[in-house]
Amino acid sequence: MAKEEKVRGVRIKETRADRIFNIVNLVFWIVVLFITIYPLWLVVIASVSDPDAVLAGEVLFWPKGFSLMGYEAVFQYNELWTSYANSIFYTVVGSALSVIVTLGAAYALSRKFAGKRVVNFLITFTMFFSGGLIPIFLNIRDLHLYNTRTVLIVMNLVSVWNLMVARTYIQSSIPNDLYEAAVMDGANHFTYFFRCVLPLSGTIIAVLSVYYGVARWNDYFTALVFIRDRSLLPLQTVLREILASLSVSGSSDTFFAAYADNLGGLQEAMRKAEVAKYCCIVVSTVPAVLLYVFMQKYFVKGVMIGSLKG
Amino acid sequence: MQQVTKATHSVRRPKVPLSRRFTRAIERDWQLWALLLPALIFFIVFCYFPMYGVQIAFKDYKVGKGIAASPWASTKGQLDLLKHFRNFFNTYYCGRMFADTLLLNLYGLLFSFPIPILLAIMLNQLNSKRFKGFTQTVIYVPHFISTVVLAGMLYLFFSPSTGIVNKVIEAFGGKSIYFMLEESWFRPLFIGSDIWQNAGWNTILYIATLTSIDPQLYEAATIDGATRWQKIKSIDIPHLIPVAVMMLILSCGSLLSSNTDKALLLQTSGNIKTSDIIGVYVYNTGIGKAQYSYTSAIGLCLNIINFIIIISVNTISRKVSDISLF
Repeated sequence: MAKEEKVRGVRIKETRADRIFNIVNLVFWIVVLFITIYPLWLVVIASVSDPDAVLAGEVLFWPKGFSLMGYEAVFQYNELWTSYANSIFYTVVGSALSVIVTLGAAYALSRKFAGKRVVNFLITFTMFFSGGLIPIFLNIRDLHLYNTRTVLIVMNLVSVWNLMVARTYIQSSIPNDLYEAAVMDGANHFTYFFRCVLPLSGTIIAVLSVYYGVARWNDYFTALVFIRDRSLLPLQTVLREILASLSVSGSSDTFFAAYADNLGGLQEAMRKAEVAKYCCIVVSTVPAVLLYVFMQKYFVKGVMIGSLKG
Repeated sequence: MQQVTKATHSVRRPKVPLSRRFTRAIERDWQLWALLLPALIFFIVFCYFPMYGVQIAFKDYKVGKGIAASPWASTKGQLDLLKHFRNFFNTYYCGRMFADTLLLNLYGLLFSFPIPILLAIMLNQLNSKRFKGFTQTVIYVPHFISTVVLAGMLYLFFSPSTGIVNKVIEAFGGKSIYFMLEESWFRPLFIGSDIWQNAGWNTILYIATLTSIDPQLYEAATIDGATRWQKIKSIDIPHLIPVAVMMLILSCGSLLSSNTDKALLLQTSGNIKTSDIIGVYVYNTGIGKAQYSYTSAIGLCLNIINFIIIISVNTISRKVSDISLF
């Protein structure tokens, strides 16, 4: 049964030590995959199970007593859907802007020009030193951006890390000969960037969209600091009130009130709202995970290229 | 010969005046600057303006007057620039906050730093290409879950009455634990959930390094009769060390600036003794109670310490191992 490894047509018998290693490795990965997937699976099956079974801890590996009660409650909670629409807006507009601005800067930094060292230093320095939360907050207030939609779009517009990944990608995967040829044909930086670099940057555009998109979709802290108007809040900030609190009533009163109308009886509602929380998680996480799964093909390849420096 | 060329070069240069060189460079490169401009404006307005605003740490900030016009910090009419810093170091909880922040990050580094390296090495040893691809896809998924949802999952799974973890503990005859209110459980939960969420994602850099190793090395090793374990020890690990050291230097730069947003979600009245992170205190006192100058001073203090740590770690590493970020 001993397997063989082929090295340039020469077969070499697998040693006993290697066979043991392979078995250990396989077991190791099965355990790791289980740890990774199980919590997510548990959320999904709990969200479609009978609330009583979930609360009794009977839902372990498979849904029990199929019920969509939780989802019905979530769909009737209007504030959640307002914030959902807000989040889609912030994510789509914000990420599109981020990708455009980052690509332009990444291209410029991949070429030689006078003053590049200073610009590079200015940008890298922000990675290691910042004004701190409060000066940033006062700055936003002085710019009259506090409590506006704009602040959620311009904050974190460019990430230094992503800029570096994009620059490395452009440097390493678009040959310099192409630039020289284009210049011979009379291209300037604009025409070269828009006609040659952008069409060749599909992979890195996909990677940047996922990076920026997911970061924006998942951010709750920016809105917590800079937004006061509840109608402007993104999804995660609203979710925080529902999910991350100890008390059953607490700050998420509105959520349970909406739930009570549906089921009758606040007592009952509070008990079953626990299950609706699982539904909230599913509803809010699906877009980010889907974006990743669809972009996955470009993603792994692009990140690899970008993360290898030089 | 070399000296001569150098000399003529330095004599020639001043013939073109600086202003002329400047206009020439602009004429030649203005399109690059135009592409760079939006990002540059962003960094100046949203990163460098706040650095200018950091001066309020040495002032008594008045909302009506703004940053520049507020008076310098003083006590009883006497100029006292370091007042806010001293006030912070004199608060009762200052020591606890420093300890909590530092310990959370140190433990976090200790446990979550080696795991991605281990995962990358083990992944690289998988024979089946399909299983490898599947595994790689799956271990990245938790990274795409938001901090709020992660905290929500912790609250649900570790709930004392209905959480699955306590149900399992009870099934084995144990007593249910109120994890979220237990001070001894804050760090394990915080760091454990961080590993679950990010260990897979953080393998990317290491996997990229491993795939860039010349396959001939492995072939030669196989022919010489090396086992997989020996190949890991003498090929994989030496190749990973430079990248690992770089990542270590980078994480040392944030030893005092842990995930404020996550700590804010997991802090409860019960676990405050271990979850009293400086970042959360700054948020609560600064944004919540509008003590802008005082909290700016705390923030500045942290940033300076972080900056000193990363510079010194980088210098030491450059001297000892020739590996450095800059």
